[in-house]
Amino acid sequence: METNVGVIGLGKMGVLHSAILNTLPRTKLRAIYEKNRFLVKAGGAFLPKTIRMYRDLDSMLAREPIDALFITTPIHSHVDVIIDALKSDRHLNFFVEKPLASSYPQARAACKAVSKLKCVHMVGFQKRFSPIFQKGKQIIETRQLGDPVFFRAHSFSSDVLKEGKTWRFQKGRGGVLLDLGPHILDLLAWYFGEPKPLTAVKKRFYSREVEDYVHALVSFDSGLKGYVDVCWSMRNFRLPEISIEVHGKEGILTVTDDSVTVEMSGGEKKNWYKQSFNTPIPFLLADPEFTKEDQTFLNAVEGSTSATPDFYHAAKTNALIDKIATLSQKTSK
Amino acid sequence: MISLRSLLVGDNSFIGVSHLSQARARSRAQELDIDAIVRVVYSAIEHGATGFTFSTHPTNLQVLEYMKLNPGPKFQLYPVLPYAQGYVRTANEKGTMKLATELFSKLAPSTKVSSLLQGGLSAITLDPIRMLKSYVDIELGSYLRVKPENTDLGAILLHDILTDLGVAFEAVHFFEAFIDNIRKRYTAKPGFVTRNFVKFVDLFERNRLPLRDIVIMCPFNKVGFQMTPTKESCEECLSKSDLGEIFAMSILAGGYIPLDEAIDYIRTLQNLTGVVAGVSTQQHAQETFTSLKPLLTPR
Repeated sequence: METNVGVIGLGKMGVLHSAILNTLPRTKLRAIYEKNRFLVKAGGAFLPKTIRMYRDLDSMLAREPIDALFITTPIHSHVDVIIDALKSDRHLNFFVEKPLASSYPQARAACKAVSKLKCVHMVGFQKRFSPIFQKGKQIIETRQLGDPVFFRAHSFSSDVLKEGKTWRFQKGRGGVLLDLGPHILDLLAWYFGEPKPLTAVKKRFYSREVEDYVHALVSFDSGLKGYVDVCWSMRNFRLPEISIEVHGKEGILTVTDDSVTVEMSGGEKKNWYKQSFNTPIPFLLADPEFTKEDQTFLNAVEGSTSATPDFYHAAKTNALIDKIATLSQKTSK
Repeated sequence: MISLRSLLVGDNSFIGVSHLSQARARSRAQELDIDAIVRVVYSAIEHGATGFTFSTHPTNLQVLEYMKLNPGPKFQLYPVLPYAQGYVRTANEKGTMKLATELFSKLAPSTKVSSLLQGGLSAITLDPIRMLKSYVDIELGSYLRVKPENTDLGAILLHDILTDLGVAFEAVHFFEAFIDNIRKRYTAKPGFVTRNFVKFVDLFERNRLPLRDIVIMCPFNKVGFQMTPTKESCEECLSKSDLGEIFAMSILAGGYIPLDEAIDYIRTLQNLTGVVAGVSTQQHAQETFTSLKPLLTPR
């Protein structure tokens, strides 16, 4: 049995997922829906004829026997696409690029839309599929650090060193908190449970309508407290970079995209690099995590099971983002 | 007994790339100025490297300019195009649409982008093959203009992002066009960097594309880092397929594997014809290439 797949949006992430999906076994990439005429034309010219391009979602869903949609459009349009697609007669499963929505009310609407359906829904928090971040979680869960008392975390990139022009820089649609925030906040929730933001500040450096930097102080039920910095205007970051440093009573854990380090209070130090973990994947483009998350979702569709992180997990991240945004609004006045 | 024809020095440390640690890459790239980079490359050549492979990153254009003015030993150049991260940056900053129209206007300068955006689109034909050819010529042009006199082109390689997109979408015509363009216009072999070696070879074999006349650069290392789908399948593909020049990259898995262990592993790969190694200092260059040199076929 093949799973028939459609991709929504032919931006950077749409191209990435389309390429991976076109290589996976038992998967057939049938069609791509893209509103922009130029990108539709470019897709038609560059992509194989087996993948049909559409500028109209209804037509695509009427003509193509699609089982699963990969939604990679700008964040603010994710939920509208889900709701529109559900108007068709098809039984659809949904993979949505992170974050699920640009606000918590929108994310709740997405959850409501799928709540009564027996469908697989998943959000692309691919860092959870990185063996490095998985190792970090294992170290925390096995309490090797003793009681965690403090953490500091950041997500930095050099993506914005002058004013940008796309939806990412529009009020209510973009900003660094929605762009780089979701991964680090999702990881913190995955590691420690539901984070409660205590205070937050934000700052604009280059953007006129949205924030370029956010700092938030966060606590957890366990008593753990720490802070998160999110900034897309740092210099010299060729790639976006995440770092989580956790101080426990017995030692310190540092997890980055590249490595995990544990320094025990007795002086013992252990390192793991991503090279330490090589799990086979059928196709590699960008990072292996993208292939792994796509496989996880498609396996769930094939087996009619569920996939994690789903819309409900992702909605919690949206709630957290909204809370941090509200707190930072207060302190910035 | 392994017998390599080429040992290439790579440019990762010069342009802020480290597969082990982004923090290390940042500090290292900030330390190196153009003069220091050229001294590292020349040191690698003096100690056994036969060529320099580099992406079309702006730093490398300055490196070639400097080499032209300050000639060193004779060696080969293996440019890899494009510098993909630069385009990802443009897409993040300006959007995919803007990136696409900027590229289009660069490749088809007679077409006004404004007319593209305002509905004149139906009249315009997007010819991917012609666009690819002009893209290669434009991207390479500025580098070839500053090519140092004591160097020649070994191969012109397509970056793994484009190669692997081509593999994913089975873009046979795209590969044919690239090979054809390089052969006709340049005195160099066409080459491809890929992190999907087995799938790449399979696609070329199924479509009777010329595997023997091209250069393939792909990861081979003791721990299987970036060897897709598995280390064993890449080794089997290398040993059984009728291939041309195969260059192992990531032999140290970004610095994770000690050099002597990396070389012991490389010695087991009989069909390899070349190795790429990145170095960041003159001493590092000397150590690395002195150790690799015995793998070369005596001339």
